[in-house]
Amino acid sequence: MRAAWALPPLGALCVILAIWEALVRMLAVPLYLLPPPSAIALAGFHDARTLAVSAGITAMSALIGFFLSALFGVVLGITLSASLVLERAFYPYTVFLQTVPIVAIAPLLVVWFGPGLKAVCVSAFIVSVFPVIAGTLAGMKSVDPALVDLFRLYGATRRHKLLLLQIPSALPSLFTGLRVASGLAVIGTLVGEFVAGFAEGSPGLGITILVAYKQLRTDLLFAAVLGSAVLGLSLFGAVNAAGHFLLRNWHPSEQNA
Amino acid sequence: MAAQAGVSVGVRGVLRTFPDGTQAIASLDLDIAAGAFVALVGPSGCGKSTLLRLIAGLDTPQAGSVSVQARDRLSDRSPVAYVFQDAHLLPWHDVLDNVALPLRLGGLDAGARRARAREALSRVGLSDVAGKRPAALSGGMRMRVSLARALVTRPRLLLLDEPFGALDELTRLRLDDELRALWRAFGMTVLFVTHAISEAAYLAERVIVFSPRPARVVLDATVDLPAERGPAIRTEPGFARTVQRLHAALELGGA
Amino acid sequence: MKTRSSHAALFACLLVACLLPACKKRESPGAGDTVGLRPVKLALNWVPENEFGGYYEAREKGYFRAEGLDTTIQAGGAGVPVVQMVASGQADFGIAGADEVILARLRGADVVPIWATFQTAPTAIMTPAARGANTLADVFSGGTLAVEPGLVYVAFLKKKYGFDKVKVVPYDGGVARFVVEKDYAQQCYVTTEPIVARRRGVEPKIFPIAAEGFDPYSGLVIVQRATWQKDPALVRSFLRAVRRGWRSYLDNPTAADAVMGKLNPAMDAQTFAEAGVIQRPLIETDATKAGGLGVMDKARWETLAAQLVELGTIEKAPPIDDYWIPPASLAGP
Repeated sequence: MRAAWALPPLGALCVILAIWEALVRMLAVPLYLLPPPSAIALAGFHDARTLAVSAGITAMSALIGFFLSALFGVVLGITLSASLVLERAFYPYTVFLQTVPIVAIAPLLVVWFGPGLKAVCVSAFIVSVFPVIAGTLAGMKSVDPALVDLFRLYGATRRHKLLLLQIPSALPSLFTGLRVASGLAVIGTLVGEFVAGFAEGSPGLGITILVAYKQLRTDLLFAAVLGSAVLGLSLFGAVNAAGHFLLRNWHPSEQNA
Repeated sequence: MAAQAGVSVGVRGVLRTFPDGTQAIASLDLDIAAGAFVALVGPSGCGKSTLLRLIAGLDTPQAGSVSVQARDRLSDRSPVAYVFQDAHLLPWHDVLDNVALPLRLGGLDAGARRARAREALSRVGLSDVAGKRPAALSGGMRMRVSLARALVTRPRLLLLDEPFGALDELTRLRLDDELRALWRAFGMTVLFVTHAISEAAYLAERVIVFSPRPARVVLDATVDLPAERGPAIRTEPGFARTVQRLHAALELGGA
Repeated sequence: MKTRSSHAALFACLLVACLLPACKKRESPGAGDTVGLRPVKLALNWVPENEFGGYYEAREKGYFRAEGLDTTIQAGGAGVPVVQMVASGQADFGIAGADEVILARLRGADVVPIWATFQTAPTAIMTPAARGANTLADVFSGGTLAVEPGLVYVAFLKKKYGFDKVKVVPYDGGVARFVVEKDYAQQCYVTTEPIVARRRGVEPKIFPIAAEGFDPYSGLVIVQRATWQKDPALVRSFLRAVRRGWRSYLDNPTAADAVMGKLNPAMDAQTFAEAGVIQRPLIETDATKAGGLGVMDKARWETLAAQLVELGTIEKAPPIDDYWIPPASLAGP
């Protein structure tokens, strides 16, 4: 049954790759314009080691940025939900985090936080934190009002209400926010790397992409882009797995899997 | 389980307006005797749920007072329990933990509260689903769990706001009987809001009919039916007369 | 449910697999212990390429260590704000261009230049040779020009030639359009884009900006003025190592090129070699043969400042004695 589930998308992928390869060869498209899948695979194998190390650097930065987003986003979301005044006062500024053009402020991040890993992680954080805040806040506010009444009736303390009612209620929405944030964290990392450069002593995928582009090594460029896509997917998958584990017994979204 | 005496409820000159200005209740007076089973009937939106919430202490009136005799906060007893129209169970807990919730909020330790919860579940005949999640139960079973949760604190005042309205007829009739049986066993004061007149007549000893908003008492009638009631009573002429009387009052009130 | 959780677990494993290569121990650059050495950080304004060869050579050959310095070379990317980093203390030394330095000084960043790698600016306009253009006037008489808006030398060219007959579009950062379009011209760095274009089969004709009369120093090493005033010995020892490194690199770039190639694997060894050949005459000139590598001339700074005022880039020139350090003073007490 698992095989049957995977067959359609895999089949579609094979068809697309085949058409791509054929078209590029038939139309004699230059390698530097649009490389065929075979060239990308070749570049991938040829530079496998460097691509893997770069992916590792980017993965590390993205993970740190993502964890910062998750931590800060959840805490802020819970805090803002506690008071309407607080929410009205600060929520608009969190929206600003969503809209700030990261490419423009990345150089400033380097000055404020230091070059390398710090600036790259902050870049990943800024780009990915807002969905977590929004998801957590929405979840905290969407608690069943009848249950709030019930808790009040039985003399629940604020702590009871937070831990036994609000946070569990908020988990599905919180995880939606985390899922969105996972992909964004990778994007933020790559942009940070474009601008700020090297996270650790070795280059991340962002630098590989930048230089491959400048050197018109389009096959390597595509391979690196593919690598970052895999990275994003993996992080998304991990978050998804975590959400599934926590919500598996009771939330409709996980039960119909 | 030892029988508990109910509490009496006094409502004096209560005025309740909503934040948007609409007046839900305008100067209402009511006295409920300890251990009584009283049904509150009226058209939709007339304010009977609002009244229930005031009595429960979930809202405060703009004027007047609500008094519940002996509103003491003993460690394992909240004298008031509330059952909503939907079961409103915590989906991430199993049935047993759901029933035990009021005790947990009251500070009782895990062992003791689980034992009490099991007791309450057996009272509503659901001992075998203790480990299941609410999502796995039918609507009727969920409502019974909600009832068990309401009973686990041995309440002296049980407030129910159209609890069986969303269920199918057969389940509703069955739960009506279960509720009456529980009341007869424990003797708590029961306030039952419904817009089904026949249900009110079947369950209660006293039915209060309200007018549309703002709620005024149109009829405060004693139900002249024997204390021991079975489903068969619905076919008796006395029952039909009571229902008709209530109907008339409802229409008179402007429903 | 089983399907979902098992392929979610697969993705989680993929993620861990991505991290593993990063966990391997990274080779520490330049063997030897660093106890007792003073740590300094040099911030580059681009990824490791030939224009920084001298610094990597100095590190590899131990010239920094010989001066008592443990130098970390922080490689950069497309937008590293090196001047701000040096001005705020994030880095002790940095690489910047002369026009950047003047602009930054006017904005309150108190940094001073101590070394100029490029005596001749390596910026240029390039166009396909097949186009048959002989002068920049030809180039700007039609077709498309891809340049970054806001670049000072672009403003200079615009003032000199006028851009009314040419269509100005944004520079795409590489040569992707250069190799396919006709009547196309773009900005370039002589050690980068022309090599790539040539390799893709389009021979470029290069018009250096320096030849047009705008020739700011490039590849400058900058340091906070406060550092120079408080600790001139540090600056001098750094410069000594840098000078030795560049000398050694120009004589034989292979070692440093290999190190940079590892840090920048997307650029191959042959490109490094070609770029090295092209940049030599820009670095080693008659001026450096007389005054030493990296030497600067006060008059050229004054000219540059005047040009910037004329272009309207700055309101007035900053006082030159605030940032000019005579070569003799840089060389030794």
